[in-house]
Amino acid sequence: MTLLPSCREVQTQLTEYAEGTLPLPRRIGIWIHLFFCHVCAGFLRGLRALPGLAKRALAPPEAAPEEASRALAEIQTRLKRQQS
Amino acid sequence: MTEAPRTETELIQLAATGDSDAFGALVQPHLALFHNGIQRILGNTADTQDALQDALMSIHRDLPRFEGRSRFSSWGYKICLNAALMVRRSRVRLHDMERAEGLAIGPFDERGHHTEQDRTPEWQEEAQAHQLVERQEMRECLTRALDELPDSHRMVFVLKDLEEWETDDIARHLQLTPAAVRQRLHRSRTLLQARLRTFVLGGHP
Ligand SMILES: [Zn+2]
Repeated sequence: MTLLPSCREVQTQLTEYAEGTLPLPRRIGIWIHLFFCHVCAGFLRGLRALPGLAKRALAPPEAAPEEASRALAEIQTRLKRQQS
Repeated sequence: MTEAPRTETELIQLAATGDSDAFGALVQPHLALFHNGIQRILGNTADTQDALQDALMSIHRDLPRFEGRSRFSSWGYKICLNAALMVRRSRVRLHDMERAEGLAIGPFDERGHHTEQDRTPEWQEEAQAHQLVERQEMRECLTRALDELPDSHRMVFVLKDLEEWETDDIARHLQLTPAAVRQRLHRSRTLLQARLRTFVLGGHP
């Protein structure tokens, strides 16, 4: 392991880097690499933006889809049967 | 049917005694949320239907124990996520690909450094600028990309980045080591980012 990691190594370890689980020398190496390499820094910005964008894009729709309403109706029928 | 609309608390009490109309009225406003949460974990499959039905039965069964300390929607949502995880656990482990690639976006030279140094616009900024996030196509692109991930990878991404669970909790639920969770998370994020970049900036699929 050289002191300054390559782009491939940096990108492979960015989630570990963000979670703080890497050994200190590697964290420093990645930190320095990110300072000088705009491609890897852009990759990290993309990773950070992903959860927020995905949350918005995959938020629940306003109306429940047909099959969800069918599931609820099925359960209601079962409850009615249990009652009688 | 002409009665005044009841409060959620009244509906909970009625539904707990077995009133199926009250149960329907109680759940209906949150049905899209419940279904969406399960579908993100299990994909668009028959399993999602099964898990939703299981969850609704559990919600009904546990209503007498609902103490109102949290909102009904978040209490029910938690039951839905658990039902989705249970359905997944009951299945024989599906062929879950372990691949070494997909952890970084190249191209790289033989020393592992980027070969392209041109400044392309960043996909996430373009997506924000053009309000692509609100568009149906973006939802479809992400849903497709999620569906294509191996089962355990999709679940890790959904639980961590959409549901905001702690890595250790995910590891416990999926019976993985935290390091394996982080590795799957990273691969999922990298693949999803590559897909979104292609979708937003165009270029080669
Ligand atoms: Zn780099």
